This record gives sequence, C-alpha cells and structure tokens, in this order.
Amino acid sequence: MTEPVILVAQVVLMVVGCLFFGVGTLGLFRFSDTLCRIHALTKIDNLGLGFIVLALLPLAPSVTAGLKVVLIWVVALAASATSAHLVARAVRSGQRADIEKGSRDG
Amino acid sequence: MALLRAFCVRAAAFFLVWWVLTEGDSSGLGAGAVIVLIVAWFSCTLYPPSSHALRPVGMLVFTGYFILRSVIAGLDVVRRLLSPSLPLNPGYLRVKTSLPEGGPRWLLANTLSLMPGTLSVRLQGTSLELHCLDLDLPIDQDVRAAERKVAGVFGLGEAGTEESAS
Amino acid sequence: MTLMLNVVAVFLLGNLLVALVRIWRGPHAADRMLASQLFGTTGVALLLVLAQAQGMPSLRDVALILALLSVLAVVAFVTRVVGIDRSTEKTRSDPARPESERP
Repeated sequence: MTEPVILVAQVVLMVVGCLFFGVGTLGLFRFSDTLCRIHALTKIDNLGLGFIVLALLPLAPSVTAGLKVVLIWVVALAASATSAHLVARAVRSGQRADIEKGSRDG
Repeated sequence: MALLRAFCVRAAAFFLVWWVLTEGDSSGLGAGAVIVLIVAWFSCTLYPPSSHALRPVGMLVFTGYFILRSVIAGLDVVRRLLSPSLPLNPGYLRVKTSLPEGGPRWLLANTLSLMPGTLSVRLQGTSLELHCLDLDLPIDQDVRAAERKVAGVFGLGEAGTEESAS
Repeated sequence: MTLMLNVVAVFLLGNLLVALVRIWRGPHAADRMLASQLFGTTGVALLLVLAQAQGMPSLRDVALILALLSVLAVVAFVTRVVGIDRSTEKTRSDPARPESERP
C-alpha cells in the first residue's frame, strides 16, 4: 500500500516539519523581546504542524480520519493566531500602562 | 426563505463536521442528525443570516493565498533567525481597514498574524495596530492584498461595500 | 514507519522540554503564557504523531481538545492576570466621570 515514493515523501515532510519546530524553539531563545518571540512561535510552529499533518495524511486509515486531521490543523491554526493576538495585546497594554505610570511619576 | 436556506446550508455543514469528527462511524449518525438540527436552529437564532454570506470561490482563492503566504512567512522568520546578525527592525504600525465589523475584520486580524512580518496587536473600530518584524517591508501593500482576499470570502466589493449581485 | 513516528514524537517532546526552559526563565508573565500557545501547536503535532504510532485514534480527539483549551487558557490569562486594556482604560476614564453618574 505504501509505495516507496510516498514513503520517501513522508520522511522528508516529517524531517522538514521537525526542523521547523526546532527552529521555532530556537527563536524563543534568540529573540530578545516578547513580541518577536510570538512572531517566531506562531509562524514557524504553524508551518511545522502543517508539514507533520501532510506527512501523516497518507497513513490515515480512512478518508474521514484524514479529514479530521486536517480539521484539527485548521482549529490549531485559528487557536494559535487568536492566542498570538491576545498575548500581543496583553504585552502592548502592559507597555502602555508602564509608559503612563512613568509619565505620572516623572 | 433566506432563513430556510441558511438553516439547510448550516445544517449540512455541521453534519459534515460531525461526520468527520466521528471518523465516519455509522452508529453515531442518528444522534448526530438530531444534534445538528438543534445546533443549526440555535445558530440561526443567535446569528441570523446576514449579508456576510461565505462565497465558495472566494474561500478557495483565500485558502490558496493563505497557504502560500504562510509558507513565505515561516521561511522569512527562519531566515531572519538563522542569519547571525538577526536582521530585525521591529516597530508598531497602524493601518485602517475598510472591512465591515464582525467576522470580516477578525478574519483579517487573525490572517495578518500568520502573514510575513506582521502580528495584529489591537483592533479598535476600523484601526488595526500591527507589530512588524521589519518596518522596511511593504506592510501596507500586503495588508491591502489580504484585505481584498478577505473581502472575496464574504462577497464584499472593493471598497468594503456589499456587492449587488446574487 | 512506526520507528520514524516514534523518533519524531521523541523529538517533539524534547522540543517542548527545551521550550519549557524559556517559560521557566520568563521574565514576563506574557513569556510564560507562550507555553499555552506552544502546547497548542507542538502538543497537537505530538499527539497526532502518537495517535498514528500507537494506533490510538482517540488521541486525535485529545489533540482537538488541547487546541481548543489552549485558547481558553490564554483568554483566562489576559482577562484575569493582565487585565487586558482594562488596567489602562479604567484608570483613565473613571476619574473623569462625574460623581453623579456613578452607581
């Protein structure tokens, strides 16, 4: 059932997906400010998840199981984008509060 | 009539989701049918069919654009991360959107979070605050392009106004 | 193929552990909340791979729930811990409001 071409493609996709996850985690340490870290985490990890999902699709036992994996990917994408927005907004309003506090104190 | 049509479309969509979630298990389809009808009825009362109906063609165009741009976005961040000098020029940018309130605006904000170099920080009325990895990028141009694609999903015209057709 | 899947799962788990160091070091609360986002993507990928490797389809449901709950965790964080927008806007608008308008 698993032809060699598909097998090779799966391995390549998985390795690429893992590389993206690895680089995303590296971004958490290399970027110095919180918002840049959110950029790295959101964009790179979503791409990594996309590659892993693509690699898993040929292994899915049925069409619906494959569709379910894709559905989970879409939900994870929406979840990640929403989380990124909310954390970024929290950081930004924290910055504003600091600026206002500074101007009141000074 | 529009209500009945929206009800049928939503029920079909929910049933599809149910079918996928149960991985096509036939024993759950009966219970699913009942739940789908209740949920579709609730959704029609809570969110009455508005002018922002989803357009299949627009959604396909949007999906293609989204996948292409998110791959570019990932590679862009990876390139910046792995180059030893960390080429960043972060900063905030404010853009105005002409999209109507609600779903279209939120879809734009969430999409921009996954697009190259932008992260939506705050959405207030028509003004959207973005955090950019590199202010030298043509951000405004990208936002306009994303805005057009989002407008296509909801069947909105160029200036964010309702298209008269269909 | 199962071996490959297991290797991928171990790699993703290691990834999560390394990222937890960042969460531990902080320094801001927002940095720590990135853990939730991380579990929303890396955790979901890990569970999907494990579902295939172990032949446990129910782990896909776990992945779906994890993705949904990660958002709720962030929502709880920004509204309760940080008090999104409220901390700045309330202090600005409340003193400006005349006494008679207050309940």
